[in-house]
Amino acid sequence: MPNRTEPSRMGALPVPGSKDSEDVAGLVEKHRNQRGGLIAVLGEVQTRHGYLPESALRVVSERTGRGLEDVYSVATFYRSFSLRPRGQNLVCACLGTACHVRGAPRVVEALERKLGIRTGQTTVDMRFSLETVNCLGACALGPVVVINGRYHSKVKKSAVSGLIDNVAQGSAAEHAGVAHAAFELELDCPHCGRSLRDERVRLDDCPSVRLAAAMGNRRGCVRISSLYGSRLAATELGIPEGSVVEFRCPHCAVRLPSHADCWDCGAPMFSLQVRGGGAFSFCSRRGCDRHMLDVTAAQPPGSLHEAGAGHASYR
Amino acid sequence: MKRVQGMHHTDNRMSRLSSIGELHEMRRLLAHATHPAQTRIVICAGTACQASGSGELIRAVKRRIIKDSLVGKMSLRVTGCHGFCEMGPFVLTEPQMAFYAQVKPEDVARLITATLAGEYVEDLLYRDSDSGETYYRRDDIPFFKHQKRDILGLNQKIDPIRIHDYIAQGGYDSLARVLTRNDPAWVIQEVKRSGLRGRGGGGFPTGLKWEMLAKEPRDGGKFLVCNADEGDPGAYMDRSVLEGNPHSIIEGMVIGACGTGATEGIVYARNEYPLAIKHLTIALKQAKQLGFLGDNILGAGVSFDISVVRGAGAFVCGEETALIRSIEGKMGEPRQRPPYPLSKGIEGRPTAINNVETWANIPLLFRLGADEYAKTGTRNNSGTKIFSLVGKIKNTGLVEVPMGTTIRQIVHDIGGGPVGKTRIKAVQTGGPSGGCIPAEKFDLPIDYDTLAAAGSIMGSGGMIVMDENTCMVDVARYFMKFLKDESCGKCFTCRKGTQRLYEILDDITKGRGTAEHLGLLEELATVVKDTTMCGLGQTAANPVLSTLHCFAEEYRRHVGEKKCDAFVCRDLVGAPCQSACPLETEAWRYVALVEKGQYEAAYQVIRDANPFPSVCARVCDRKCESRCTLAGSGGQAVGIRALKRFITDRVDPGTYKRAETSSRDQTRWWMPSPPARKRRGA
Repeated sequence: MPNRTEPSRMGALPVPGSKDSEDVAGLVEKHRNQRGGLIAVLGEVQTRHGYLPESALRVVSERTGRGLEDVYSVATFYRSFSLRPRGQNLVCACLGTACHVRGAPRVVEALERKLGIRTGQTTVDMRFSLETVNCLGACALGPVVVINGRYHSKVKKSAVSGLIDNVAQGSAAEHAGVAHAAFELELDCPHCGRSLRDERVRLDDCPSVRLAAAMGNRRGCVRISSLYGSRLAATELGIPEGSVVEFRCPHCAVRLPSHADCWDCGAPMFSLQVRGGGAFSFCSRRGCDRHMLDVTAAQPPGSLHEAGAGHASYR
Repeated sequence: MKRVQGMHHTDNRMSRLSSIGELHEMRRLLAHATHPAQTRIVICAGTACQASGSGELIRAVKRRIIKDSLVGKMSLRVTGCHGFCEMGPFVLTEPQMAFYAQVKPEDVARLITATLAGEYVEDLLYRDSDSGETYYRRDDIPFFKHQKRDILGLNQKIDPIRIHDYIAQGGYDSLARVLTRNDPAWVIQEVKRSGLRGRGGGGFPTGLKWEMLAKEPRDGGKFLVCNADEGDPGAYMDRSVLEGNPHSIIEGMVIGACGTGATEGIVYARNEYPLAIKHLTIALKQAKQLGFLGDNILGAGVSFDISVVRGAGAFVCGEETALIRSIEGKMGEPRQRPPYPLSKGIEGRPTAINNVETWANIPLLFRLGADEYAKTGTRNNSGTKIFSLVGKIKNTGLVEVPMGTTIRQIVHDIGGGPVGKTRIKAVQTGGPSGGCIPAEKFDLPIDYDTLAAAGSIMGSGGMIVMDENTCMVDVARYFMKFLKDESCGKCFTCRKGTQRLYEILDDITKGRGTAEHLGLLEELATVVKDTTMCGLGQTAANPVLSTLHCFAEEYRRHVGEKKCDAFVCRDLVGAPCQSACPLETEAWRYVALVEKGQYEAAYQVIRDANPFPSVCARVCDRKCESRCTLAGSGGQAVGIRALKRFITDRVDPGTYKRAETSSRDQTRWWMPSPPARKRRGA
């Protein structure tokens, strides 16, 4: 189920015994029987906190039974781990061969000049970190600069300043969750065919989509944005982050069909009918924003639906 | 329409296929459900095309289909990378096979209308930038026409997150064939007979590797690994295959398990490829649900499962012993071989490691049969190879050709030759472990053995084109910087050797090199090559040695005359326009002054270098413009001569004052001026 989540890049340091430390311990458990476990654990800590805090390394060492020096050696060996906090915005320039011969070093210089830091450093106000990467595999588009996961292709050194200014000003807008080129969908119940549109409550400046929801023995209503590409949802039902909700049609009270599980979190994806054709499905876990709009014909409901076809926002 | 067997659940989820017969039945139903003649829009959503904006394009198409109620009349297929990333985001239409390049969301409406009517949108079709010719069919475009896309060709037909697309294209049919035959020895014989060699770079015969693994004892488990740690900068074919067709890797690995008796598979994927990991994860889940993985695959008694391990950004982890340690969750340091991973690999168990592209070749091999497969390519080098053709070339992208194709065919016929009017000087193959092949040797056929004889290696298939604006000393320095950063530090000669090699090369590019440096470079490079343990160190000298041998003159110019003819080494050249000018006029300076409207100051700069500027402004052959960096990168050069003429026509020569110290010798007063520094030093 979609909701608006603020990325928490700058998490506080986990204090042993605190909730954060339990989080890290939970990660260790999650990857215990996995291959490459330690690297996967550190990878998740890195994603969550933006870096590897010392206390987290201590917790990992304690829980995995591997010496702290061992954990430290892994944490310092791999390029994607950082022991120092990173800024809110991560600017990453590709220095692959193709980018290099097309002038990437000049672009990096321009970035360094613009941000006033050197590669590998973070600005004093903790807003930007600058890093380089060996190759992102987008060689035809070089020089490539990735800012907060968004690729910018054929970057010229003259364009650098504008890119950074955009991020500095527009980062709030980017996190708002409304992707570019979003459009409104009219969604109907696949069972009774009645519209789920709710004119009274508006989300993203569009009428919302009202669904009946159940979690355990609690019943209520959840509204999701009808804007395709938005991740906004609203509910008076107190749904804790990470829990899975069952959805029904508010008119006919039939459970919405679910043809697949979310590939990311494994919760069922519920499906709605799109007026005009096609189907829209979304993940039923609060906090997971996977959704999918399928306009492929020749797949009458009830036949060739795939499992696990959860989708990223570009779908 | 009939429902696929085992799929009529309340929620219509897929359930396991319990026999090969059920797979055939499913494929038959899928063939029935899709109309081959249906109008379809195909859009690539690979990493590169997403960076170019294919996400917005996909949304626009979906919106149009819903708004105009076109569901059923037209469908959309979102695929992985097709290889022509330069043209992204693009639209391919079926059944017309028209190729629209760099499409914008606002073009979608007319594109859909035309496609439904069976017509074309002329102005959006791919047009050759030199000849101006418009191509109506994708396969007539030179970039695609000269390729043989056995592996990459499937990408356009498959949505990587829909296993049914893969099955409908004959996917898992090779696996069914292997399971039906149920003869591991035959599997290995077929791979051996096909002559398939490892696509990761070394070119070790895959069949032989499998045979050795099959002979190892099975108790305790055996591993098959897919090496997707594509660390070579400038190569991205593995990313494209994983992103666009992950099921081919899965099918290849399961067939491998049938032949070798392996019990567990691992894909070691690069952390820098999030989309590839995502698509692979979805594919694995779907394959498990349908019973292509797990216990008793398709009811044929084989059990095999695959998991994904993410790397964390270390180039050395592409080396097999380092990769194994990384999979074990340790620091990725290589170890001494023997024992080879084939006998002692992950957790001390036998392990065979193959590259992504090798695995993707396996289903094809069994679909065609070993004899048919071996007909492509040359003797001892069968099949096709994907190259990533990047750098200073007109058409950049992924190119799949039969082994034995010449470099010239790839660079000129497919790649379309140089950008603008430059001259291609060399191609670099094999990434940091490879070497450069000068243009004189472009008629060499590309295969493992020929490239090795020419002093380079095939590597994983990166092919970086360099033109006269690329400095070979700078390229060697770039690779050495890369290698010194990526050296794991275990062997002293690699750790310190690459560091010193880098320092020497850096000195040469900064004008501090001497003739003795060249001898020292060669000696040091040879030592590093001979005294290190793993592939990284042993090949670290290649970029230096091959450029030293093939481009000795460039090195000599750098250390002798302190000149960089490619105008790259900034301490030696400063601004290219100035270096190109026989009078060394500070073109960059007066162009900037013109932009600011300071015409008299601009005239001052021109007259300082040239007593007859108005004549030169009319008849000069503009060497400066030919070297303008804007022209070198595919755009148009600054019209330096025209600006000069404008200034000389406009400014009264009487305003010129011969300053006691000319503007060139003044301290920097409005921008840093490397050329001025250079002049003083000269």
